[in-house]
Amino acid sequence: MKQHQNILIAGVGGQGNLVCGKTLAQAAVEEGYKPVVGQIFGASRRGGTVQTHVRISNSNLGPLIPRGDVHIILGLEPMETLRAAIEYAGPETIALMSETPVQTVDSLAGRKLYPRLDELRGSLSALARRVYSVDPTETLEDLGTYRVQNSYMLGALCGIQTARLSKESIKTGLIEIVGRSQPNTEAFEEGLKAGRCAVSE
Amino acid sequence: MIEGDQVLMSGNEAIARGAIEAGIRFCASYPGTPSTEITEYIMKTSDRRDIHAEWSTNEKVALEASTAASWAGLPALCPMKSLGLNVAADFLLNVNLSGTGDGGLVIVVCDDPRGHSSSNEQDSRFYSKAAHLPLLEPSSCQQAKDIMPYAFEISKRYEIPVIVRSTTRLSHTRAIVELGEVPDIEIESAHDIPSNLYNVPRPDFKHKQLLAKLDDIKEDFEKSRFNKLDSSDKRVRILASGITNRYSEEAMRKLDLEDIEILSITTTFPLPGKSVLKALDSATHVLFAEEGQPFTEENVAVLFAKRKNRTVPELHGKIDGVIERYGELNVDKVAHALSRITGCEFRPVPPEFEERAQKSRELLLDRPPTFCPGCGHRAVYWAIKKAKQRFDKPVVVTGDIGCYSMGIFYDSSLDTMQAMGSSIGTASGLGQLSRFGFDQKVIAVAGDSTFFHACLPGLVNARNKNADLTFIVIDNNTTAMTGFQPSPSSHIQRGETFSVDIENIARAALPDYIDIGIASDIPATTDLIHENLTRDGLKIIIVKAVCRLAEREDSKAERPKVYIDADSCIGENCKLCMTQFGCLAIEWNEEEDHSEIENHLCVRCGDCIVVCPHDAIRRG
Repeated sequence: MKQHQNILIAGVGGQGNLVCGKTLAQAAVEEGYKPVVGQIFGASRRGGTVQTHVRISNSNLGPLIPRGDVHIILGLEPMETLRAAIEYAGPETIALMSETPVQTVDSLAGRKLYPRLDELRGSLSALARRVYSVDPTETLEDLGTYRVQNSYMLGALCGIQTARLSKESIKTGLIEIVGRSQPNTEAFEEGLKAGRCAVSE
Repeated sequence: MIEGDQVLMSGNEAIARGAIEAGIRFCASYPGTPSTEITEYIMKTSDRRDIHAEWSTNEKVALEASTAASWAGLPALCPMKSLGLNVAADFLLNVNLSGTGDGGLVIVVCDDPRGHSSSNEQDSRFYSKAAHLPLLEPSSCQQAKDIMPYAFEISKRYEIPVIVRSTTRLSHTRAIVELGEVPDIEIESAHDIPSNLYNVPRPDFKHKQLLAKLDDIKEDFEKSRFNKLDSSDKRVRILASGITNRYSEEAMRKLDLEDIEILSITTTFPLPGKSVLKALDSATHVLFAEEGQPFTEENVAVLFAKRKNRTVPELHGKIDGVIERYGELNVDKVAHALSRITGCEFRPVPPEFEERAQKSRELLLDRPPTFCPGCGHRAVYWAIKKAKQRFDKPVVVTGDIGCYSMGIFYDSSLDTMQAMGSSIGTASGLGQLSRFGFDQKVIAVAGDSTFFHACLPGLVNARNKNADLTFIVIDNNTTAMTGFQPSPSSHIQRGETFSVDIENIARAALPDYIDIGIASDIPATTDLIHENLTRDGLKIIIVKAVCRLAEREDSKAERPKVYIDADSCIGENCKLCMTQFGCLAIEWNEEEDHSEIENHLCVRCGDCIVVCPHDAIRRG
């Protein structure tokens, strides 16, 4: 790989952010790269913002993506996708956003309004080169679990074909990290389909 | 995993693997982010590898136990978070003089710049200076592993503890690590401990001996293969330590600067002055890239100050402010510093992007950490709130460290939150101020693991001085915040450990009143708290709670569903379950004007049922 690829996974504590990071890193190892993953957990797992930095290259990079240098934002939550874009997006950024919001304490209490999806998409489009969004709700409800949204989004990432890593290695990585469970594999396949149909804005 | 394998590992796992490759026999620790995974990794294979690994009651006990193992000839590891070293410092600043025998003792301290999971952002390196102990700062996951056998080697040779400092960004970064060999050590038997393991009657002599050891260690460090202090003719040098090495390399590439040399110092104390000065020779500018305070920067400034009649380069970093003195470093901050020093322009994003980003920021809502759905702490804080409303005098609530610290963000349920054990300590002070006219009743809140860690001296003080306070211990049977390590009172203990009962210990303090409550019975807990507020003296309430994250996944399904009866919910005019109780599993249905349970988030605890004044929340 001539140039490295920086993937930022944005979400909320409990969404499987770390699993996504580990999966992509495992996939990168499969393809012979030397990935570096920067992750923050601890207090933030209790409903706070969680960002995982995945850097795929042949050298030992630092754990944090510099401002403006993110290539792909994998957004597990709409507002967190925008937050990540504001902090890290640049001219090369492609954002892939899940349309399932996680409300905040203030938005639940009605003290503040969670932004509308079209507002978020609009703002994202002003910051990223391309924006794709997918809605995993139906799949997750059919599967009866929201815990596999990360597998769905990894599938969608393969579907939009921007990651340097192949679908096969990401799938292998996923199985290595979460095991060969049926809801995960199915969510991945459904995400793949959704990603393939997604049109950038 | 065998020698030569290339494995993805976090910095913490690499540190643990390095300790295993160094042949440790003993590991004692108290969990604390970002250090916890070191001990967890060791525990995974400790039985097979015949290593004693324990979660100790607190960091001081962990350090004392590890030291004892080293005295008896067994290599020992003691990992902790930054603030843990404050707890252990009293022992550390004694055992540095007494010595650690020939086993070897390495303390790993993980600092948390920016305080991602901490209540401060202390630079623990100053302890190595205060205690005159050697300090190593690895700069990558690979080096984090490789440096551990070296750390043990120094500890054994000089019979003193060696401190290895990591930071969050190293501890929690995963990268490829090439494994080394795990020595096939036969079970070593412990030997007698050395004589003279005390500093009196002449601590000054012991101090003199320690300083002499430090001089020898400095000579060792002059030759250390872990430093990269090559001579150079570049005008600007960066002296980096720890993870900032990576930031410096990338910042230099980003700015496309050539007249810069990055030097790397891993043995930061005692500073190998000769090699550092040689490496900085003929530089016109030196930038110090280090996490925390200007530690190395100050030490190098002293070196230059002692050098007579020579030109001194301009020193840049946290003293002259080209890098701000608080927060965490990153590539951008180092690049900004370089741009200020060299005058070359640095713009991470175009100005028009900056404007758009600024505008988008208005859409964002904060996400303060909060209690999980069904968390017992929320139920207890709700009961405290109701008891306070019923009580006719003001009440102050002192807090402690654990998941319940998030009471800060829960309708300001806590008025204070500092260190482990400070709830009961500060309460024992406030509870003695009535003669000065302080007429507020005091509640102290702590959890089970914290109760043992640091609350016991405060509790004894409160009894001994007859402080007027109510001490609420929320016992959820685990150290939840750091990932469910067993606390001393947990029902399920690991291996040979034995459960220690909180109630028995609390009763032994002879409180005026002691009660046991159940968090999920909110009305009864409210009554208990209110009743104790009306009483004088030392009152203890132990509240049994459940950590829903630690709970078995299928326990949820065994309970009947919780739902909201749309007809009984009075809608917009109330919304109390959402605006005040604030469980993330209760959502608002705008179209139908009533609240709704999010089934995929709800754990069916039913805590919210009593919260609704209209009996609209039900089970079934």
